[in-house]
Amino acid sequence: MTTTRMTRYDRSMLRLMNDRRGLPLYATTARRRLVVAVHVALTAAIGALITHTYLAVAEPVWPLVVAMVLLLPWMVATGAINGATRGLLELRERALDERQSAERSRVLARAHRVMTLLLAATAAGLLIAGAAAGDAPRAYAAPVLVTALAVHWLMPLWVAGLMARDEPVEDDGLGA
Amino acid sequence: MVRAERKVSRQDLAAAMGVHYQTIGYIERGQYNPSLDLALKIAKFFALPVEALFSLDPFRPLTDEVYGRKQP
Repeated sequence: MTTTRMTRYDRSMLRLMNDRRGLPLYATTARRRLVVAVHVALTAAIGALITHTYLAVAEPVWPLVVAMVLLLPWMVATGAINGATRGLLELRERALDERQSAERSRVLARAHRVMTLLLAATAAGLLIAGAAAGDAPRAYAAPVLVTALAVHWLMPLWVAGLMARDEPVEDDGLGA
Repeated sequence: MVRAERKVSRQDLAAAMGVHYQTIGYIERGQYNPSLDLALKIAKFFALPVEALFSLDPFRPLTDEVYGRKQP
């Protein structure tokens, strides 16, 4: 942690992010990958349901209800990833130590690279769709933009979850 | 390991250094190289010269040191 004084909010967030009750969910690499995969799937499902509501002519209510229900496991998965990373992205800089700050920079850089590739692929896809059917880019502009925003927001969390390492093992009987 | 020998837990050392306890674990496993500032603080905590704790080359096993075996 830095020498800058932490606020009460910082301290409570630090406690929350280091709460080990959820440890079984993210104790191993395989479990962390599974949690990230579930989070990606839930995000896609929620996004698809909201997009369906936006694009459907009849404006049905059920997709929104299902999306709200899916939001609960999504929040649990978000908490598990944050627990696995010890709040690497949620905590303020002053609540992180030098290793965590460096780790956060690495995560953000990698997420940025992945997002650049995804956005390039999306732009290419839209251009190809536009060449095939003139109206396609305009019709899909809003959902694509919202999806891009959501993925841009969540990509660092997914990358951080995948890059998180195992807890150092207990080796001396002196406590963690 | 000096920390275990001095009966200091990772939590206690981390609290004294103002870092996360995982950082101490990663340093011990060789998965993180601390800054010069942190290395000097750790050395000061144990009242040892920094080269007694950190080295560019891996430290020899304690049994080799005690029994004077040469590395292959």
